Amino acid sequence: MNFHIYKVLLRRQMSPARLLGMAALSGVAILLGVLARTADNTVEFATQSTGIFGINVLVPFMALSLGSAALGDLVEDRTLVYVWLRPVPRYTIATAAVAAVISVVGSFAIAIMTAAAAITEVHDLILATVIATALAVVAYSGLFVALGLRFERSLLIGLGYIAIWELLLSRLGDWFARLSVRSYPMSVLADATGVEMRLADRAVVASYVVPVVIGLVAVVYTSWHLTRTEID
Amino acid sequence: MSAISLSSTEISPTSMVQAAGVSKWFGDLVAVSDVSFGIGAGVTALLGPNGAGKSTLLRIICGLARPSKGTLTILGKDPRRDVAVLGRIGMAPQQETLWDQLSGLEFVQLAAQLHGLSHPVEAARGAIAMVELDADDERSLSTYSKGMRQRIKLAQAIVHDPLVVVLDEPLTGLDPRQRRAMIALFHRLSDAGKCVIVSSHVLDEVERFGSRVLVIAQGRLVAEGDFHKIRDLMDDRPLRISIRSNQPRTLAIALLECGVISGCELQDPDALVVSTSDVMFFRRAVALAARDHQVSLLEIRPLDDDLESVFRYLVGQ
Repeated sequence: MNFHIYKVLLRRQMSPARLLGMAALSGVAILLGVLARTADNTVEFATQSTGIFGINVLVPFMALSLGSAALGDLVEDRTLVYVWLRPVPRYTIATAAVAAVISVVGSFAIAIMTAAAAITEVHDLILATVIATALAVVAYSGLFVALGLRFERSLLIGLGYIAIWELLLSRLGDWFARLSVRSYPMSVLADATGVEMRLADRAVVASYVVPVVIGLVAVVYTSWHLTRTEID
Repeated sequence: MSAISLSSTEISPTSMVQAAGVSKWFGDLVAVSDVSFGIGAGVTALLGPNGAGKSTLLRIICGLARPSKGTLTILGKDPRRDVAVLGRIGMAPQQETLWDQLSGLEFVQLAAQLHGLSHPVEAARGAIAMVELDADDERSLSTYSKGMRQRIKLAQAIVHDPLVVVLDEPLTGLDPRQRRAMIALFHRLSDAGKCVIVSSHVLDEVERFGSRVLVIAQGRLVAEGDFHKIRDLMDDRPLRISIRSNQPRTLAIALLECGVISGCELQDPDALVVSTSDVMFFRRAVALAARDHQVSLLEIRPLDDDLESVFRYLVGQ
């Protein structure tokens, strides 16, 4: 990873609109934690809300917002040239972009979701939330950085992907579910608390390995695309 | 069609940039067509009208775009395949957008860091001083004027002391004093043995860059060589002049008889378009012909004074 590119991309992530959006999402997460604590079945409510809100909504939408912009904005405003023209291996640009997104989305989402889990006082859920959120962040950040570099309307395509593939098609059967990113971190949550959740029936090893592999494959694709693409 | 050659066009073994049969097309649009040249140390101007293919050619030179056909090498390497050769290239692209959240020093320093310089801050300060900006100016680039943006782009292009400097319309937005300073900088880089390639669509601007020119029009290299010879060639071309008068036929016959025009065409009832290659002689002859034949001249208007017509003429050669 190129640390200089990482630093400058990290700075680009911090726009007031994004910070505002993240603050709003964190308010919802904390509210769900409070509601779970007062619910009849705290473990069930806490696990479901962590999965449904944290893994299905908060992480993918944050990763999409920041990830699609990480290199996509540079393509759009034609400033990628100031990175591409330097004698640095292309994979260092890709890893710096993904690392910058993971840093922001990961630190924020893990902190908020862990705080919400802590409020519920379901102790089995806390570590599982940290791991599941981290796994989801790695996979979605890699995917959306690649998407942002590859497509012009990456935000719209990403929204379509989340809504149609992750939230709808993944329910059609086990085969579809296996191709859904969210099913893996959800399985980590379900495995830790014993709560039965839709889609959360992946094998333990796969739950940990597949999201990391998705993130790595996305970095490889982004690096390859950077070597092939023409810079405007 | 081959380019008009006004000096040796053989690719020199010392050429830093070599293009051989380079073409670039986007679907049906041919942006660059079968261009070959060799460029060594010194300032070389890439001259052509807007949309001629200059920026595309510069992008290919820097490796930002790959040729659809042909080869282009920088210092013997393909910039698309050899990332290391990018360390020998500095480019200031045409677009104004910069990394607006950074200050000028941060922007140039980032370039120095990515080029692996051991003292990036000092190098960035030096480059910023060369383009006559203030390295201590902490304002973000978003507050920079057009002229300041042009100069900071130039600073990031030269911060790593590249051998090949590619500048796409670098004088746009600069005031006359800044233009002089930048042109002097191009010459200093040239004197230091750098290959400086500067694009422009302004003929008078190119005149001050230096003697070597590549003229590109409609994607093709239409002339290359010494600027002054190309200028002479441009000045020698036949010019078309529109004349409005009360007796265009009479005037046309008179001008043809005195041999000052090589062709004429009646357009409107009162308009005549003539071709001449000697404007000075034409001016005198038209006044005499009008006086001798009692013709009232209503308007005399050159049709080929714009640069586009110069390029059209060169394309037709």
